[in-house]
Amino acid sequence: MHEMSIALEICRMAEEQVGREQLPQVVAVGLDVGDDAGIEVDSLRFCLEVLLSNPPFRKARPEITRRPGDVLELRYLEVNDAPATAGLAPGAG
Amino acid sequence: MAVRTIDVRERVMARNDELAAGVRARLQAAGVSAFNLVSSPGSGKTALLERTLAALGEELQIAVVTGDVQTHNDADRLARHTTRLVQAVVTNGACHLDARQIAAALEAIDLDATDLVFIENVGNLVCPASWDLGEDAKIVVFAVTEGEDKPLKYPKMFRQARYAVLNKIDLLPYVPFDPGRAIEFARRINPNLTFFLTSALTGEGLEAWFQFLRERAGRGATP
Repeated sequence: MHEMSIALEICRMAEEQVGREQLPQVVAVGLDVGDDAGIEVDSLRFCLEVLLSNPPFRKARPEITRRPGDVLELRYLEVNDAPATAGLAPGAG
Repeated sequence: MAVRTIDVRERVMARNDELAAGVRARLQAAGVSAFNLVSSPGSGKTALLERTLAALGEELQIAVVTGDVQTHNDADRLARHTTRLVQAVVTNGACHLDARQIAAALEAIDLDATDLVFIENVGNLVCPASWDLGEDAKIVVFAVTEGEDKPLKYPKMFRQARYAVLNKIDLLPYVPFDPGRAIEFARRINPNLTFFLTSALTGEGLEAWFQFLRERAGRGATP
């Protein structure tokens, strides 16, 4: 449940970023997660996979990097400016 | 292929921490101290608060916000010991309280007529460690029935806490628990942890706890 609430907050932050900067399709969500952040990484990844497979994300993939300390940060979004022309089906990658 | 990376670098807890800072500022402005009681389920947080309200309720203006996954049971128990409104937050499955819930709960509390706020968090030694509620300090409660190694098993919570209450000491004759070892384990994680050894059932050790609260009441939250 903790990981799901964290995952929901990450999706909210990503959505806010997409709206603010009028970004195209998100294909990856990059996170730094500290070893002491109190997060079970596999559980967080699973929760994100579930949430990111739904609109507005269309199967963006979570990319989690472990770090020392208690960092918990949304580090980057990877977006695709031309998903159709690139032949990148939703969820590809 | 036109994939590009957008640098974000935002802390996931940033929004909660912003709300917590707002809570802290409100408490500070009103000169109210706030303590976030955290523990595993069944350590005796509610019993400790019942005793505290019964003993200090006339002397200090104490407000309580309880957090539970389901039921108002704790709030109902505490309401019997105070004439003040006990704010109950039912999280409906969430394993911790967050600053948004505390900010909302404070709306119903007359902070100008309050010395002390207790937040009784959801029983859980993991998740509540990650959520700043705007409190003055976290107080971790654990009981002699839980095992001496709780601090080693849940180091983040013991690192985050400024005070620890070792409760149910009336049961020490019946359980294989060495308080010295438990305190040593806790101080290995957090050397600055201040301990209170209590029995909320018999009242043993509570006078030191009450005196601490008298001294802290009305001092106001400090970051």
